Amino acid sequence: MSRLILQSAVSGLLVGGMYGLVALGLALAFGVLKVLNVAHGELLMLGGYAAFFAFTLWGLDPIVSIPLVFVGLSLFGVILYFTLFRHVTRLALGPRIKNSLLLSFGLVLVLQALAVRLFTGDERTISTAYSSDAITIGWLRVPVVRLAGLAVAVVAALLLEWVLTRTRFGLALRATSEDWTRAALTGVNVGWVYLTAFAISAGLAAVAGSLIGLGYSVSPSIGLGWTLKALIVVVLAGLGSMRGIIVAGLFLGLTESLAGVWLGGEYREIAALVLFLVVLSIRPEGFFGSAHA
Amino acid sequence: MLAVDGLEVAYGDLQVVWGISFEVPEDSIVAILGPNGAGKTTTLLALMGLLPVTGGTVTFGGDPLLGLQTHKVVERGVVMVPEERATFASLTVEENLELGAFTRRARSAVDETKSEVYEIFPFLAERPTQRAATLSGGERQMLAIGKALMARPRLLILDEPSLGLAPIVVENTFRVISTIREKGVAVLMVEQHVEKTLDLADHAYILEMGRIVADGPGSRLATDSRVRDAYLGL
Amino acid sequence: MPRNWPAVVTGLAVLVLAVGIGLGSDNQHLLTIAIQTMTLAALASSWNILGGFAGQISLGHAVFFGLGAQTTRELWLGGQPLAVSVVAALLVTAVFAAVVGVPMLRFRDIYFTIGTLALGVAIFLTVGNVRPRLTSLTAEALREYDFSGPYFVTLGVLAVTVAISAWLKNSKLGLGMMAVRDDEEAAGATGVNPLGHKMAAFVASAVLAALAGASFAYFTASYYPSFAFSVVWTFEAILVVFIGGMGTITGPLIGSVFFVVGRDALPSSIQEFQVVVFGLLFILVVLLLPGGLLEGAQRLIRRRLKQGKRSSSNEGTTKSKGKELV
Repeated sequence: MSRLILQSAVSGLLVGGMYGLVALGLALAFGVLKVLNVAHGELLMLGGYAAFFAFTLWGLDPIVSIPLVFVGLSLFGVILYFTLFRHVTRLALGPRIKNSLLLSFGLVLVLQALAVRLFTGDERTISTAYSSDAITIGWLRVPVVRLAGLAVAVVAALLLEWVLTRTRFGLALRATSEDWTRAALTGVNVGWVYLTAFAISAGLAAVAGSLIGLGYSVSPSIGLGWTLKALIVVVLAGLGSMRGIIVAGLFLGLTESLAGVWLGGEYREIAALVLFLVVLSIRPEGFFGSAHA
Repeated sequence: MLAVDGLEVAYGDLQVVWGISFEVPEDSIVAILGPNGAGKTTTLLALMGLLPVTGGTVTFGGDPLLGLQTHKVVERGVVMVPEERATFASLTVEENLELGAFTRRARSAVDETKSEVYEIFPFLAERPTQRAATLSGGERQMLAIGKALMARPRLLILDEPSLGLAPIVVENTFRVISTIREKGVAVLMVEQHVEKTLDLADHAYILEMGRIVADGPGSRLATDSRVRDAYLGL
Repeated sequence: MPRNWPAVVTGLAVLVLAVGIGLGSDNQHLLTIAIQTMTLAALASSWNILGGFAGQISLGHAVFFGLGAQTTRELWLGGQPLAVSVVAALLVTAVFAAVVGVPMLRFRDIYFTIGTLALGVAIFLTVGNVRPRLTSLTAEALREYDFSGPYFVTLGVLAVTVAISAWLKNSKLGLGMMAVRDDEEAAGATGVNPLGHKMAAFVASAVLAALAGASFAYFTASYYPSFAFSVVWTFEAILVVFIGGMGTITGPLIGSVFFVVGRDALPSSIQEFQVVVFGLLFILVVLLLPGGLLEGAQRLIRRRLKQGKRSSSNEGTTKSKGKELV
């Protein structure tokens, strides 16, 4: 029994890394633009397909194609920003969040349906030469592809944190997150900050998608499930450091997995839901307020 | 330097500013006084491009200023210190100052400007890594002005710089504003603190319900009976 | 004679027409379209009670539709009479909604919406895990399948839903809900219990959604259980209400007709992309909703009109004031 628990814990941590990575992009978009994009998971899904086709058509290893996928979906994010989300940023905070939520809700349906038409509803997994390799510690099995995913997630978080704290651009992002009016008065081109933050957010989602395609699977309908996990992580972490988000992701993955052992795997989502509702009721400011007064 | 002519500003259907005209000459301190709700802050926000303007013209150094995006207004040299929370609480003193020099023009002279700012506000040099949220009200106001100066303004706009500050801090602040004028930066300030402001300002305008009802050199207005009647504190 | 007797008369006329179609038509396609329209209209009307009357935007509405459908299906295919199955479904859903509503409704505005989204997705995924296999009518039932049964059941469901909506809108309870929608604090201050009214709207909306789900389960020959919990149902219900008019009785009905008929009328090449088309439409509607671009545009137009009036006429100010009350 304890073997099951330990193996589940490991699996939970591995998927938790993915939760964290997906949450990074969502937190960035929400923190800077104050826009809630529930179609984040669809961007993830498209990234996964991009990596899949890069692999099957051109033989590009999904880890290698990460920069490509990032740039490609970032550009798509730019398009989405210009056509849709930019209009929403003209609104005050309350209507902005509500309208972006509804807007992206429609986008979810559109992108999902397009994906079904273009890619069929089949599940796809990127099967590389090392896909079935695993690091074994005794009877404990750690699949290499999933470990790679966790590694990339950690690297991405550190990279993002570095950008935010050590670059001028990151300073502008943080200032805009805190108060866009004040940032504008300081000379920050807020429109440009919004655009790049959103594009990076889309790119991060796509990278998560390609890792998920490698270590798990992608299909047109996976979007909302991952968006939900990302939402939970963002609420858990509060809008703070990027490292905090990875930790919160690991926590969610672990909790979910262990709950699955106890309740039965099919009810894992309920465990995550309960955790979400509990955290949301205890610390809603962690989501919308800044961590400081 | 700054010439405002017939400015009209509206919030949706509600018109707040009804065609006001004023100017800020170089090397001068101009004050706009008036009660709450007169439209003072609205005017300033409109100048900075944060509110849509429904009529009138504004030129700065001869070039039109209206319709520019806020960051471009700052780039031109018009910098505003807003009324509340003018600093970024989550950032440190140093980060606030660095951010203040965000525009390209200011960036090229960051170090020089920073030492000038430290000269005016020595206490900022002592604690660069302190988070702005932990500063006192007066210190934060100083940081806010210092941050604005980092943008190398040619015109500094202050929205109620004395708000919420102890009298001695207000005196300090006003002394600093005078120093700023001596350094060749024009100042436009909006205030409720009538007496001290009229002492300081070269010229003042009284704004009431979105219209200018009086204007003149600070010393003359101080003795104007209309002003005295309207503001019992004089 | 009720105040809005033209509406009532029209409604009765439509009802008579609908009954006539049910009795007289053999066209399977027409009957299918009609049933789909009525199901969607009922679901949309139920969402409208929570969203339009009480002002709480739920993105997890499909949960109740699915719960009603699944409970009905399992009991009915398991041998229970349809009526018993439906009643059981309604009871189960009422209890579930009451239990879930307690934590959910403590959230306000956007938190509530996110919470319902989370609920919807979690339940959808769980049902997919727990009931992965297709549910189908037996071969014998399929051979004997007669549209008129489901048609009149669905019609009955819609009629009940509309009746309850209409009653609610004009009742004290409904007024309380609308007061909460417009300003929750103010409503509380005048003695209206916000939580109580929100809960009433939540449960009523859920039970009626379950009723629509029950008729779906009765009508549909075979489907995957999780389909009834799919977010697409929520989306279509909301879209239809947005188009037709939130907070009205006829809004969801008109919107449903437009949606289903429009979708069916699309040339077959585009039909494959119907969700895409309606998704784009949804996005457009959101962009144009009040509080969004449309209100901004309206204000601009009104201001231009006022400026024109001010400069062109100085007399007759009372006249122009009256016009400004647009």
